[in-house]
Amino acid sequence: MDTIENREKLKTAQINNALGVFIFFFGLVVIFAMLFTETFVQQMTDLAAGLVLCLIGGGMMLKSRKTIKSLKLK
Amino acid sequence: MLSGIDYFVVIAYIVGILLLGYYFKRYVNSSEDYFLGGRSLPFWAIGMSIVVSDIGAMDFVGVSGQAYRYGISVGNFDWIGSVPAMLLAAFIFIPYFWKGGMYTIPEYLGRRYNPTVRTIASLTWIIFFAVDLGVLFWASAVLLNVLMGWPVWASILITATVVGIYTYFGGITAVVMTDVVQLVIMFVGGLTLVFLALHAVGGYNELVDKITTMGPEYRQHFDLIQPSTTKTPFPWTGILFGLTFVMANAYMIGNQAIVQRCLTAKNEWHAKASMIFGSALKMLIPILVLFPGLMAIIIHPGLEDGDQSLPMMIKSTLPPGLIGLMFSAFFAGLMSSVDSLLNSTATLFTKDIYEPYIKKGANDKHYLKVGKITTLVLLLVGVATSPISSRYPGIYVAIQTFLSYFQGPMFAILLLGIFWKRTTQWGGLSGLVIGIAFAVYLNTFKSQFFTIEDPFLYVSWWSFLLGFVVTVLVSVFTSPYSESRLSGLVYSSKKKEQVT
Repeated sequence: MDTIENREKLKTAQINNALGVFIFFFGLVVIFAMLFTETFVQQMTDLAAGLVLCLIGGGMMLKSRKTIKSLKLK
Repeated sequence: MLSGIDYFVVIAYIVGILLLGYYFKRYVNSSEDYFLGGRSLPFWAIGMSIVVSDIGAMDFVGVSGQAYRYGISVGNFDWIGSVPAMLLAAFIFIPYFWKGGMYTIPEYLGRRYNPTVRTIASLTWIIFFAVDLGVLFWASAVLLNVLMGWPVWASILITATVVGIYTYFGGITAVVMTDVVQLVIMFVGGLTLVFLALHAVGGYNELVDKITTMGPEYRQHFDLIQPSTTKTPFPWTGILFGLTFVMANAYMIGNQAIVQRCLTAKNEWHAKASMIFGSALKMLIPILVLFPGLMAIIIHPGLEDGDQSLPMMIKSTLPPGLIGLMFSAFFAGLMSSVDSLLNSTATLFTKDIYEPYIKKGANDKHYLKVGKITTLVLLLVGVATSPISSRYPGIYVAIQTFLSYFQGPMFAILLLGIFWKRTTQWGGLSGLVIGIAFAVYLNTFKSQFFTIEDPFLYVSWWSFLLGFVVTVLVSVFTSPYSESRLSGLVYSSKKKEQVT
């Protein structure tokens, strides 16, 4: 029972990690788009939106990697 | 139309989704993995996926356009037209489907009534989904052509390739998880658009003042409830009876593409929670898609086609980079609609048609293979039939309207099947067939019965009502199943289980 439960937790954590990586890198692409803006407001908008995506993606990555590590240690 | 960096963002999104979807191949080892994600998905991912599947690229643009033309009453579809139905689904219906280990809604109907009801319901959905796929491909590609300047065939082939690869390999896990990414991107892009546009018009109070003083045709733009005599397609009578009582429930409870997601949940709690979480997210959707339409009235007044309001707002309000992000959301909306249709149709065909009628008792790998091949065949059929849509300009609306016709009677027999144990197999069968036939009749002669041009809300209400009455009447005169036969399929058996 525990093994099945752990396997499921591991699967969820791996999926979250993959999603996190995607959202994080997509956020970086949006931040990179700052270089192509013309006004300060546009720059800040890209920066804010990109940072939000990086925070969501980064948070998912960190949390899931922590879970994966703890499950593999068991 | 888009700048270089925006194209880069869109292409990065497409490539990323392709890789992400392909990554989920590793979690598909059985037909249960393919169709139900191994029953291991968390509520938040399913809830997000339900919301995203509900909003295709066409709806995205359409809702803003309706808000531009008619005001906030279009928000009823996401508020009263979704939230109560999702809560009802969460607390009453989903637990039956999840605990029964079902793959499809017709499977429940088959157990509750008889195999004929299951087959009719399943074939109706399969035909609808298969036709809808080609229509959706074409309509969305035309939209992307207008918005982004992409050639129609390039849009169709790119979408088919990307969606085909991740749906074929990753099954419903890939479908649900790519939806999660789409929702995050849609919310970030959408909220940024609303914030910047609201700032540009001078705030909410200013928005209301400016619109309501623009002329008599704008005075009701902030009335959520429209009178029954309104010229808009959203009279309160239609909203209450057609949308809230019938269509919303039928969609959230009887639509395979929606319910199948809840069946992927890791346990009953997650299955229920997914719908509740989805309903909370659903309440925010009008803010993202309705408000840009309203603000476009001030920023871009006098647009000939209201559906241009959202693309115009994106181009005039968002900076480079975020324009690409919002157009990625459009593209993702298209991909999400296509992947849902593919996976749900493959599930319906494999579980309701192939397994009982073509090859019974084969091993699981065989059914997994059938599911994958069906996905591929459907995709090819969708691409091949998509140009047919161009010859029939009204086909997109016609297909969407058709959905409202059979959903009413199907919801009637689902409702009676669960809540009234006296409902018989013949009652269910007659209610379904006569209800659908009546809806077709009403639609064919709609000008004789209704004063508004597009009476789909009324048609769904009356076909539901007739389906309901016929089911009750026929059930009264035919013999029901025994209590033991209905165990776990009707509400009264659940209550008895709780007592014992």
